[in-house]
Amino acid sequence: MSTPSVTDRMPRRTAGLAAGLFALVGIILVASLAAGAWPMLGAPRAAANLIGAVWDPLRGRYGVAPFVVGTAAVTLTALVIAVPIALGVAVSIVHQVGALGRGGILRVLTVLTAVPSVIFGWWGLQMVVPWVRAHVGGPGFSLLAAGIVLALMILPTLSLFFAQALSKVPNTLKEGSAALGATPDQTLLRVELPFAMPALVNGLVVGLARALGETMAVQMVVGGQTAIPAGLAAPGATLTTQIFTDMTAFPPGTAGHAVLDIMALLLLAAMYVLVRTAERWGSR
Amino acid sequence: MEPKLRVENLSVWYQRQPALKHVTLSVEEGEVLALIGPSGCGKSTFLRTLNRLSEEQVGVRVSGSIMLGDLDIQESHVDVTQIRRRVGMVFQAPNPFPFSIFDNVAYGPRLQGVADPGTLRKIVEQSLRQAALWDEVRGKLRRPALALSGGQQQRLCIARALAVNPEVLLMDEPTASLDPLSTAKIEELVGALRGQYTIVMVTHNLRQAARISDRTAFFLDGALVEVGPTRQIFTAPQDNRTEQYLTGRFES
Repeated sequence: MSTPSVTDRMPRRTAGLAAGLFALVGIILVASLAAGAWPMLGAPRAAANLIGAVWDPLRGRYGVAPFVVGTAAVTLTALVIAVPIALGVAVSIVHQVGALGRGGILRVLTVLTAVPSVIFGWWGLQMVVPWVRAHVGGPGFSLLAAGIVLALMILPTLSLFFAQALSKVPNTLKEGSAALGATPDQTLLRVELPFAMPALVNGLVVGLARALGETMAVQMVVGGQTAIPAGLAAPGATLTTQIFTDMTAFPPGTAGHAVLDIMALLLLAAMYVLVRTAERWGSR
Repeated sequence: MEPKLRVENLSVWYQRQPALKHVTLSVEEGEVLALIGPSGCGKSTFLRTLNRLSEEQVGVRVSGSIMLGDLDIQESHVDVTQIRRRVGMVFQAPNPFPFSIFDNVAYGPRLQGVADPGTLRKIVEQSLRQAALWDEVRGKLRRPALALSGGQQQRLCIARALAVNPEVLLMDEPTASLDPLSTAKIEELVGALRGQYTIVMVTHNLRQAARISDRTAFFLDGALVEVGPTRQIFTAPQDNRTEQYLTGRFES
């Protein structure tokens, strides 16, 4: 066997270099966050301070619990609203509409996934915040408003992933079920959804990750309160919005900046867990 | 005796394309009827109209009548799920669900609302025995169906179809994807089910048709050319085209 020529090896080397660079950037990112976070992690009673519920940088209290709670509440609200609707959209795409309608809907959804989040936030400011104020109470700026805006934002992505998952169910299985006297609903619930479940979970995790990481749209409607929120209709803040709000207030080297680094690491860790979960389910 | 299935003047179109033209054919209770003919001759289409599975496809139009006993299954008020419980189907490639062996066989009964574990166990065992699979899978009913061999999967699919206690069993080239040994087992099984169930079977394998069917129907270009006792079709066909098809195949 002759050794590959230089030009034959070029593509592999270029690809390898790119991959290496990518890994390096990732490692540097995490390392610089960790380095930034280090002074705070080494401070006395760091854990108790960080886990605490009080965010008062002027007195040295850096409890991130309000933001963790806010992130969880906003993300869960978005999923609870968006997942059932997205499933409905996906089932309609796969079953109800003809080939023509299907193409149109898929195109619209694809375009919607590309709408910048600031536009969703703007819409939330004009429509959702007043709606929450009028129908649920409180100032309107709230975790609930952020959850609704996020739900709308991830709905196209979720729908596309779910539709993709459902369309992968082999026709032979659907026919097999129908031939045993199953109604279309029975086939959907007993064959299609179980078969598509790994891919559905995969899509769910992608949507979840998008909701978890979203900053701008949330920041515009969430209210920015740094205490533990009293309820869904109360204003609050998330990990991402708080980093965004305080990044100019805490210059590098200050304790506050270190805490923001820790919050960023927390987000990264959450994302990592999500991606691993998705891989687990996806490969089943 | 009244035929089990009486098909009269059945025509099927895909979009504008005719797939089946004015087919009139009866199937007697308890017999094995083989449908033979070259690819695209309409025999699979014919089979799939007998349980109205053809209408799952878009753009399919059917005319004529199909009497199952004294029920015209083509009529719009007829519940298609009821038809399919009376007319079971086994497909070309084994298509077990990605569940356990037990859940595959119990699928049909559960659809009908059978939930009692004892009853389900009884139905599953009986169906697997009928499909000659019980001895190979007893004690392993919780294993995934997809871990079975191809031939076992196909017998599982037969068991799954039998579990809803159908009157008619449609088989669309059930051995097309199987090795000779598994094929022999399925053929043996069809022989054992004869009399108990009315079986309509599409096959590309002429020897198979000759071996296991009571009567054979020859389709060509969407039309039924002739139907008669298998022995007669194979030894003294009435129609020239049947003879040409049979001899062409035997010589090649």
